[in-house]
Amino acid sequence: MKHTPYFFLLPSILILSFTSLYPICYSIYYSFFNWRWGDEKDFIGLGNYLTLLTDKEFWIIIKNTFVFAFFACFFEIVIGVFLAIYIDRIKIGSTIIRTILLIPLMVSGISVTMLFKVMLDNMFGIIPYFLSFVNIKSNFFGSYTAAMPTIIGLDVWWQTSFVFIIILAGLKSIPHEPIEAAKMDGASEWEITRYIRLPMIRSLLLLVLIFRSIDTLKVFDIVWGTTGGGPGLATEALQTYAYRVAYSFLEMSKSMTVMVLFSIVVIFLTVLYSRLNKDL
Amino acid sequence: MKKIKKHKHLISAYIVSFVAVAFTLLPVTWLFMLSIKSKGETFTKPPKWIFDPTINNYIKLWDNDLFKDTFFNSIFITLISIVLSVTIALFAAYALKRYQIKFKTAFMQWLLLAYMLPEFLFVLPMFAIYQTLGIYDTYLGMAIIYQVHVLPFSIWMLRSFLEEIPKEIDDAAIIDGCGPLQAIYRIYLPLIIPGIVATAILNGIWVWNELAIALGLTFFDAQPITVGVASFRGYASIDWGGMTGSAIISIIPMVLFAAFAQKHIVKGLTLGSVKG
Repeated sequence: MKHTPYFFLLPSILILSFTSLYPICYSIYYSFFNWRWGDEKDFIGLGNYLTLLTDKEFWIIIKNTFVFAFFACFFEIVIGVFLAIYIDRIKIGSTIIRTILLIPLMVSGISVTMLFKVMLDNMFGIIPYFLSFVNIKSNFFGSYTAAMPTIIGLDVWWQTSFVFIIILAGLKSIPHEPIEAAKMDGASEWEITRYIRLPMIRSLLLLVLIFRSIDTLKVFDIVWGTTGGGPGLATEALQTYAYRVAYSFLEMSKSMTVMVLFSIVVIFLTVLYSRLNKDL
Repeated sequence: MKKIKKHKHLISAYIVSFVAVAFTLLPVTWLFMLSIKSKGETFTKPPKWIFDPTINNYIKLWDNDLFKDTFFNSIFITLISIVLSVTIALFAAYALKRYQIKFKTAFMQWLLLAYMLPEFLFVLPMFAIYQTLGIYDTYLGMAIIYQVHVLPFSIWMLRSFLEEIPKEIDDAAIIDGCGPLQAIYRIYLPLIIPGIVATAILNGIWVWNELAIALGLTFFDAQPITVGVASFRGYASIDWGGMTGSAIISIIPMVLFAAFAQKHIVKGLTLGSVKG
C-alpha cells in the first residue's frame, strides 16, 4: 500500500527517463568525441566545444538566434498585451473574435511558411505585386537585410495570440472592486491599466515572457521552411544549424555539442522561471 | 459626457479587434483561394477575384500516394501518442493528487524541463537507439519520443482537472472500500472525461503540427503530414497547387478540433496554472 503512488508514477518516470534523460546523457557523452557519420568515434575531450566557441560562424548563429528571439518576443508581447487590453472591453462578439484570433496557433509552422511564401513570392506573390505599384522592388526571403525581419514577422503572426489569449484570461479574472474604486477616484482608463490591471497579472506576464523566449530561441520550422538559414547565414538559428551540421555535413558530435550548449540555456531559463514563479 | 467616453473606448476596441481579425484571416483566406483556383488563374496579374472554383488541386493531392500516406501516418501517430500519454498521465496525476510523494517538487520540475527541451536534442540520440531497437521510422517510435512533450503536458492538465474534484468525493470512495484502481476507473474517470478530451485534443494538435523531430526520425514509412506539406516547398519549380492544397488540408482539422477545446485552451497554454 505504501508503494502504490510510486507504482502509479513508474510508467511516467520510465518514459520520461528514456525520452529526456537518455538523450541528454548520450549527447553530453558524445560531445566529447569526434564522430562523423560512418567513421570511428575518437575521444577528443573538449575539442568540439573549443572548435565551436572559437568559430566566428557559430557566434553569428548565436547572435541571429537571440536577435530573432528578442524582436519576436518583443512584438508578440507588446501586440498581444495591447490586443488583450482592448478586447477585454468588448462584451458583444468577444467569443467570435477570440476564436478567430486563435486560428494561427493551430497552424503548423510549416504551413505558416506556406501561407507567407505564397503571399511574398518575388514573382507571383500578392504583396510584391502591390509594392511594385509604388516602385518598391521587394525580396522578402532572399535579401540579407529583409530575410530576418520577414521571419520575425512570420513568428509574430503565428504566436501573438499565445500572449493575447493568456493575458485576456488574466484580465478577465481580475476582481471588479479595485477597478470600480479607482474609477470613483477619477482614474483614467490608461492609469487603471497601468497601475491596477497589469500589476495584478504580473505572474502571467512572466509566464508569457519565459515561455515565449524559450520557444523563439528554439525556432526551427519557419526558418527551415522558408530561407533554410540563408541567404548566407543571415537567418541561420541554433536548431537549424544543428540540423544542417548533422544531416548535411554528417558531423554528429558537433551537432550534439551545439544542442548541449543550447540546452544549458533552455534549462537555465526554465529553472529561472520556476524560481521566480514561486516568489510572485 | 461619461457615456460618450465609455463609447469611445468601446469603438476603439472594436476597431482594434477588426484590424487583428483581418490580419489573422487574410493569409489563410488568400491561401484557400489560391488552392481552389485553376492552374492558369493562380497568379494572374492583377489577381482574379471572381473565378470558377475548382477542387482539382485537392483531387490531385488525393491521388498523390506520397502525400495521402503522410496524412494517414499523422492520424496514426497522433492517436497512438494521445492514448499512450493520457493513460500514463492519468495514473501519475492521480498519484500526485491523492498521495504525499517525496520528491514531488523535483518531479514537477523535471516535467517542466522535459517539456521545454529543444526538439533537436532528441533527434540524434533517438536516431541511434531506434536503429538498434528497430523502431526507426515507425509510428511507435514517433509516438514514444513525442511523449517527452505530451506526457508532462497531460500530467499537468489532468492533475489540474483532478484538483477541481471536491475532497468529499475522495473520502466517500475510500469509505466505500474502493481500491485506488477502482477509484480511478469508477469515480474519477467519468468526472474528468471533458478534461481528458481537452487534453487529448491539445496534445493531438501539437503532435500533428510537429516538424523538427519528424524530419530527423522518419524516412519514409512514418513520415507525418508536416513533412508531406514540406515536400512541396521547392526552389526551382514550385507546385503551387500542391503547396496551397496540402497546407489547407493540414490546417483545417486542427482548427475544427481547437473549436471543441476552446474552453480549455488557456488552461492548456499555461500548463494548468490558469483556468480558462
